[in-house]
Amino acid sequence: MNGNGEMDVTRAPSLANRRRLALRRFAQKMDRPVFFALGLVSLVTLGVIFVFVVREAIPVFRYVSPSSLLGPAWHPTSEPPLFGALPMIVATGLVTLGALVLAIPLGFASAGFVAEIAPPALRDLAKSLLELLAAIPSVVYGFFGLTVVAPLVQRTFNLPTGQNGLSASLILALMALPTVASLAEDALTAVPKVHREASLALGASRWQTTWRVVFPSAFSGLFGAAVLGMGRAVGETMAVLMVAGNSPALTWSFLRPVRTLTAGIALEMAEAPSGSAHYHALFMLGAILLLIALATNGLAEWFRGRVARQGE
Amino acid sequence: MKKLHIWSSLLLGLALLGVAFPAAGSDEVTYKGSTTVLPIAGLLSEALAPNVVFSVQGGGSGTGIAAIIDGTTDIAGSSRYMKLEEFEKAVANGVMPYVWEVAIDTLAIVVHPSNPIEQITYEDLRRIYFGEVTNWSVLGGPDMPIVVVSRDTSSGTYGTFKEVVLENQEVTDGALFQSSNGAMATTVASTPGAIGYVGLGYLQPSLRTLLLAKTAEGPFVGASVETALSLEYPLSRPLFMITNGYPQGAVARVIRFALSDEGQRLVLEAGYAPIRALSE
Amino acid sequence: MNERSSFSLGVRAPQSSSCQVEPILRVSNLSLWYGKQQALRSATLSFPVCRATAVIGPSGCGKSTLIRSLNRMNDLVPHLRIEGEVLFHGQDIYVRDADPVEVRRRIGMVFQKPNPFPKSIYENVAFGLRVNGLKDHLDDRVENALHRAALWDEVKDHLRKKSGFDLSGGQQQRLCLARALAVEPEVLLMDEPCSALDPVATAKIEDLIQELKKEMTIVIVTHNMQQAARVSDETAFLLLGELVEFAPTEQLFTRPSDPRTEAYITGKFG
Ligand SMILES: Nc1ncnc2c1ncn2[C@@H]1O[C@H](COP(=O)(O)OP(=O)(O)OP(=O)(O)O)[C@@H](O)[C@H]1O
Ligand SMILES: [Mg+2]
Repeated sequence: MNGNGEMDVTRAPSLANRRRLALRRFAQKMDRPVFFALGLVSLVTLGVIFVFVVREAIPVFRYVSPSSLLGPAWHPTSEPPLFGALPMIVATGLVTLGALVLAIPLGFASAGFVAEIAPPALRDLAKSLLELLAAIPSVVYGFFGLTVVAPLVQRTFNLPTGQNGLSASLILALMALPTVASLAEDALTAVPKVHREASLALGASRWQTTWRVVFPSAFSGLFGAAVLGMGRAVGETMAVLMVAGNSPALTWSFLRPVRTLTAGIALEMAEAPSGSAHYHALFMLGAILLLIALATNGLAEWFRGRVARQGE
Repeated sequence: MKKLHIWSSLLLGLALLGVAFPAAGSDEVTYKGSTTVLPIAGLLSEALAPNVVFSVQGGGSGTGIAAIIDGTTDIAGSSRYMKLEEFEKAVANGVMPYVWEVAIDTLAIVVHPSNPIEQITYEDLRRIYFGEVTNWSVLGGPDMPIVVVSRDTSSGTYGTFKEVVLENQEVTDGALFQSSNGAMATTVASTPGAIGYVGLGYLQPSLRTLLLAKTAEGPFVGASVETALSLEYPLSRPLFMITNGYPQGAVARVIRFALSDEGQRLVLEAGYAPIRALSE
Repeated sequence: MNERSSFSLGVRAPQSSSCQVEPILRVSNLSLWYGKQQALRSATLSFPVCRATAVIGPSGCGKSTLIRSLNRMNDLVPHLRIEGEVLFHGQDIYVRDADPVEVRRRIGMVFQKPNPFPKSIYENVAFGLRVNGLKDHLDDRVENALHRAALWDEVKDHLRKKSGFDLSGGQQQRLCLARALAVEPEVLLMDEPCSALDPVATAKIEDLIQELKKEMTIVIVTHNMQQAARVSDETAFLLLGELVEFAPTEQLFTRPSDPRTEAYITGKFG
């Protein structure tokens, strides 16, 4: 911070100049506290949400034991109630996995195409297309899934119903694609030009350069893109609600109807009288969802840190 | 320069206020609740505009009743009567619920149009919805797995079906759960083995409606406005609007309009049966 | 792997003994535009085998533009227009069916700032070999390239452990040199390779150039006229995109034929 030392003192700065300098100095002095405050606000908000959800979830243990939360049956209104969340946890994992298996290769490939291969005009078109995809409300995706994807899946696999994990994965992949692709594209574009030039100058083709130099250099950003895409898939409610079929039965198959944690909450929140066992159980589902999100983010950070250290 | 700036932003602010708050003279009434009652509320809203701004929002009967209890809506729509706990909670909150019957809903049992089955009994429905019968051949239909489709457990429609047909027992875990009448209709219309139930307002040519009887002795009756009004069709239920206290002002205008001949014709138009025979 | 070209590895650059003074790379009437702006004005010059040619001139005169058009590195620049010919072994590298990938493998390049990949030292050198399918005797080729770049002794103990980024600036630049040498190019283009280095590191690179030019053609862009005088046999002086003078280095620095050259080398401008 030697802003004074750098100033040209031989010439008296004009008034406007002086004002600009003062402003800049003020901004320099303020940016730390401001960022600190903003960071604090988001941290506190997160904390409050977390505490609220957990506080509303804990009382469920007055009715059932913690281990029964991993039971295979969800019968919230039977006597006594059963709050086995395992089917929904499995369903969430299954559907998210399916979505990522589709969205990550597709997203990375389209990012690679847009950032490295496409001519400028096509690049702009592809980018605005991705933005458009991202702007479509999830209920529209859900409707598309319900009327087009599910019947297609049903006929293709000759199933009684096409509302299942596979259809949900397909729709979620489509929804996560813009997130994954545009973040991946940012990551690829941020790779310094000198790496590309070095590679090309050694006789590597465009594809080899993209695949062997640009992608590895962008690893950290690409990883972030995948994690955010995953967040989108785990948290999506409306579209999944419309295409997954929502059967609460436990299944490991992509071709059976499934109910995810988000869909479970959405389906039953309205019926659960506030303060009832059912109400607390639904908050427990929310807490589990939060836990999954935190765990995957933590795991991702840890993994990224490990890789970054290896790369050094 | 600066002054002009201030004045113009003031003007802009006023203009924005004008957009946010409708012109004086028209009153605002809010509706929240049952998606079954929603089409009625929507038609009422169109007819009442612009004198009364009647803004409507779904969410389900439970949501609507919760909203009237917290005082966050003027009118709640419900496809079931209030539960005792809800009533007590309302009273404890200083809210006195007045319940108005505005229409009679009729749930039709629907299958895919390619399904040759013509009629069904409560007993058959129970066996299907409890997962005891899983193939249409058992009921004299083709050899095809039955796809059981239910509404989400928090909908009033589900509540009625469960209470009237299922004797208050739960639907099988293997069923599909749809979060709206529209999704239910679309699902059944696109799934050859499906069976489901929808409000009369959502019947469409792409669905086959089954004749329904309480027992095998019959009589088997088709769902329609006429059979609902004559009380011949078994699977009917009243639809309600709930207000806080005896309605006054704009809220009273909405309720009075809903109960008028004109309002009841809109109920018919929405696909439900009116609460009384209407003069032509 | 060699079916790609008529002049494949088997007949690559002749050894120093057989080095004749003949142009391997010839530029004729080369003009180049970035959009509307002309950056090269009908330059004609040739680069003989086993010689080092220096390209000098004030900043922005088109030095980088010139050498980057010798191995089609400018292909990435949008709105670029080129007229004239660049002949490599008598064949125009800009004709439609010329393969830029092949051209770049045989005409290597070292850049102004050291730019190793974020990979291990070994992988940096092996990269060009791998992408060109030269996967046999990989270890030997990597070691050989590091020897030629005088880096082997400094890195041999942590070839796979250390990243290219962990080296000093001078070492990084020699790593980049080794990387370029590994694919055995016939021509090596160097765009101000020492401008980011201290005098000791610079001297090392200059020694290497002296060594390398015994077996390959070198084109080096430099701002440093002493450097040009030390390492090059011929020097080209560029001004505002125009090739003002191209002559044996000694002659250009002692008896320039163009007054603009004289003004530049005596420090009157630039
Ligand atoms: N990618 C580009 N797009 C547009 N103009 C460019 C581009 N690259 C270079 N130029 C312009 O072409 C001219 C020559 O640039 P060049 O980089 O060849 O100069 P140089 O002699 O290498 O300069 P320096 O000594 O500073 O490296 C300059 O006027 C420059 O602004
Ligand atoms: Mg340059």
